[in-house]
Amino acid sequence: MAGTIRAQYPTSLRTVLVPCTGRVGADVIMRGFGRGADGIIVVG
Amino acid sequence: MLEADRHPNIEMLTYSEVTKVEGYIGNFRVQVKRKPRFVVESECTGCGACTEVCPIYVPNYFDENLSARKCIDISFAQAVPAVYDIVRDSCVECFACVDSCDLEAIDFSQQDEIIELEIGTIIVATGWDIYQEDDYGYGKYENVITQIQLERILAPNGPMFGHLVRPSDGKRPKKILFINCVGSRDVKKNAYCSVVCCNLSVKNSKLIISEHPDTEITVCYIDMRCGGKMYEEYYKRARDAGILFVKGMVGNIEEDPLTKNLIVQFEPVGTDTIVTMEVHMVVLSSASLPSQGTKEIAAIMNIEKSPDGFLKEVHPRLEPIKTKVPGIYLAGSCQGQKSIDLTVSQAKGAASSAGIPMGAGEYVIELIRAQPIDERCAKCYKCIEACPYKAISINDEGTIVVDVISCRGCGICAAICPSKAIELAHYKDVQYTAYIDELLPIED
Repeated sequence: MAGTIRAQYPTSLRTVLVPCTGRVGADVIMRGFGRGADGIIVVG
Repeated sequence: MLEADRHPNIEMLTYSEVTKVEGYIGNFRVQVKRKPRFVVESECTGCGACTEVCPIYVPNYFDENLSARKCIDISFAQAVPAVYDIVRDSCVECFACVDSCDLEAIDFSQQDEIIELEIGTIIVATGWDIYQEDDYGYGKYENVITQIQLERILAPNGPMFGHLVRPSDGKRPKKILFINCVGSRDVKKNAYCSVVCCNLSVKNSKLIISEHPDTEITVCYIDMRCGGKMYEEYYKRARDAGILFVKGMVGNIEEDPLTKNLIVQFEPVGTDTIVTMEVHMVVLSSASLPSQGTKEIAAIMNIEKSPDGFLKEVHPRLEPIKTKVPGIYLAGSCQGQKSIDLTVSQAKGAASSAGIPMGAGEYVIELIRAQPIDERCAKCYKCIEACPYKAISINDEGTIVVDVISCRGCGICAAICPSKAIELAHYKDVQYTAYIDELLPIED
């Protein structure tokens, strides 16, 4: 979305593609935190 | 309707109800309950001999309870098929009708008949009903009626043969008040606008004043919403004809017990005066509601309802005909109240939408689908509960089966499974593990 509107965002923001937010379970979120992510936003 | 009934490819099942829908596009299994009329459809010629001898009168549903029909009667004169039916609850079982019927078409022993149909696509066109609560004395004061009741009064084939008369004394009302937005645009009742009522008030008031120019007609409105082809011009012609359109809602309504006239009070917006008016009849432009049984049919078909209760389309602007179930389409007011021209357009759209997969003979699905891993399954069936499309079921051995047509690849089952026994093709856990690990490398 940010790319489509030609917006800039920092490299510290990493995106993970999901088919639907329903696919996002607790295990995936915890892995993110476990690997050092400071925050996770589920958008959809 | 007659043409549809006579068409060789169309089978009309009237007096029937859909009770179950299973399967998927191209292969729906639909169960229909045919309710007993107690008249044999194939024998009845609609001659009416039975009606003449029947001693019981019941309210006529088709005429909005403004007239009576006999217990054994035809629903309305133009009913298709032209077969009579018995309102069994009111029947005293005198059997005078049985004696009068030369064709022996009356059968009091009829029961519900369940039939199973193999169906490829489904179009839901269950229509709308009118709001009937006690607003403005409706149900209490005889001369407060709804627009639909007015339509029946004005109809040439209606209970009054098209003569404008009011319910209490059968006299022609010379002073009529229309109240718009009854039950609509009200957060306590129905928040939405019912779309058609403003134009209906223009049409009916114009019809009355054209027929009886000495009638004083007032229409109380919040806004006059006359969008669409030629409606605004119609509204102007109605004003030019002498109908008074007043912006202001009715605050008080009382009935004169002797004359049954209504005394109404309203404040025209911006005038700071309260107008008291005595009228012979009040017509309510009441809200349009999804028809009775919409909730039930939505549950049977596993389609969703919008917050306003109408059936839910995939997208209100870009896909107003498809539903979340492939193969089930919507047409007409069941998807949201609309005018006749838009209903016809949507019906044609629904027919062609249904025709596309039927003509192609095949239906293309995406590859992103849930895949169960039987060895890991603990048979907790959390996935079945979680699936919003009812795509997961249990087979005879108790193992999970995913219907790949109904499955939409949302992945909720994969996320919720505590044993990781079901995964989403192309979006598996191992893929996410690798993905996240690469995005967030840990420096050693």
